[in-house]
Amino acid sequence: MYGAMSPPVLSIEGLRKQYGNFTALHDVSLEIPAGEIFALLGPNGAGKSTLIGAICGMVRKTAGKVRLFGIDIDEDPVTPRYRVGLVPQEINFDPFFNPVECLEIQQGYYGQKPDPERIREVLEAMQLTSKANVVTRALSGGMRRRLLIAKALVHRPQLVFLDEPTAGVDVELRRDLWSYIRRLRAEGTTVVLTTHYLEEAEELADRVGIIDGGRLLLLEEKAALLERLGKRQTAVHFTEPQQSLPEALGELGVVLSEDGNSALYTEQATSNHGSGRVLGALYSAGLPIRDVETQRPRLEEILIEVLRSGGAANAQKQEVQA
Amino acid sequence: MNRLGMKTLLMKEIRRFVRIPGQTLLSPLISTSLYFVVFGSALSGRISQVEGVPYLAFIVPGLVFLSVANNAFINASSSIFSSKIQGTIVDLLVAPLGPFELIVGFAGGAVVRGILVGLLTWLVGIFFAGPSLQHALLTLGVLVLGAYTFALLGLLSGLWAEKFEQVNFFPTFVMLPLTFLGGVFYNVEQLPGIWRTVSLFNPVVYLVDGLRYGMLGVGMFQPWVAPTVLTALALVSTAIVHALLARGYKLTS
Repeated sequence: MYGAMSPPVLSIEGLRKQYGNFTALHDVSLEIPAGEIFALLGPNGAGKSTLIGAICGMVRKTAGKVRLFGIDIDEDPVTPRYRVGLVPQEINFDPFFNPVECLEIQQGYYGQKPDPERIREVLEAMQLTSKANVVTRALSGGMRRRLLIAKALVHRPQLVFLDEPTAGVDVELRRDLWSYIRRLRAEGTTVVLTTHYLEEAEELADRVGIIDGGRLLLLEEKAALLERLGKRQTAVHFTEPQQSLPEALGELGVVLSEDGNSALYTEQATSNHGSGRVLGALYSAGLPIRDVETQRPRLEEILIEVLRSGGAANAQKQEVQA
Repeated sequence: MNRLGMKTLLMKEIRRFVRIPGQTLLSPLISTSLYFVVFGSALSGRISQVEGVPYLAFIVPGLVFLSVANNAFINASSSIFSSKIQGTIVDLLVAPLGPFELIVGFAGGAVVRGILVGLLTWLVGIFFAGPSLQHALLTLGVLVLGAYTFALLGLLSGLWAEKFEQVNFFPTFVMLPLTFLGGVFYNVEQLPGIWRTVSLFNPVVYLVDGLRYGMLGVGMFQPWVAPTVLTALALVSTAIVHALLARGYKLTS
């Protein structure tokens, strides 16, 4: 489903949001093609929820264009919403209704008659079947969040915004949700995801955007990003602590861990030969090797790196402007 | 237009108040019964007749109007305010529902509650003062238009309020004086000169008078005055609430 030729389901041009003197979004531009899982990453207050809010109608944008399914939301804010679903970051629930009634109401809002089969399906996917007729007041925090996800999906939207969908959801269920999101993508649904669990973005995303201070600092395919900026760390653990490493290993960039139990080597993910050379040198030095551990490139390090360099660039820009 | 969405919101609003009948239906009924007992019994001994009708019968239309107006107002204001506080307003902001659908849904639910409590109050009035309905169409028109207008004022109040104490601002500082000085318990014509003139600026005077004419066949003004005033108020408040919802007043940031 996901492909470069797909027309964008979401297109944003120069989106800006100003709260008085504070700029929450700085001319953000972005296109999301159909069938993509797009992860928007950034620290708290970076502008992720503001961006989603401006697209979905919860935030009044100051400037810029947003097109959903080719429709400019300034000209027609209502029509595209039939095809959009949102899981908001803040948990909400209506204490007067149970999950089945909440989902029936949700379908009605989207112009659909109650569909018991679809409701049963989403409740099952969110593992809420046993709570189907329990008042929402009696649901736990995790269950309420799952109900939010069910509400966002029950009308079969073609574009879903998941703003921190798995916060407070236990590990096992989180993995089940990931499978469900993959299934949605396979069915052609486009997913925009914000998350604090970078593992979630690593698992799911086709493309990643990093936002900070209201600026989109980076926009790239996840695999290419991990390849380009990711670092691979190799840790060689010894059977007994070492005082130091031979000079040849130091020249290769290998360092001894503080406790002396491991030799650590970090290289770019694109490098094809570094680890092999290091391992060869370690064997040649006759060090007592117990095992070797390799850590694949992680989004977390990339995020930290991009935020650091992005923050520095912004600070520089502000200095120049001043 | 999203008819099904609108109907869903309307039905949800009705189900919401039906689920707590003690608070939404029974409680206003008890307070109205107390009005009949206290005002009716205490004053009917001193004021035997007003405009040619027994005092107990005279206060029935005003009390019915009070019930309709208060309940329509409270239903709309508490519903939208609690949606804001609970965060469920997001469901409506993101859904394909425009200002028109939101007005029909919220105000429709409030009108149904207002009319329902008004009818129950009327039944209590019939118990105390006997039945009387002179102009059914006018009575129904004033009740529905009155309920709708106060529902919209409730929406306005709920939209504006950001704290719990602000929800009570309109009912306490605007509605209570207007309704109690609106000729519910007395005939405005009996007031001394200046107060009579001041009272004529209170729209509730015309609404109570219209309902009194519809139910009892007696009134100060021409029968068309109340529906005209109510239609004007309904149109103005609809325009204001529509404009505020369209720009997301205190709903979007």
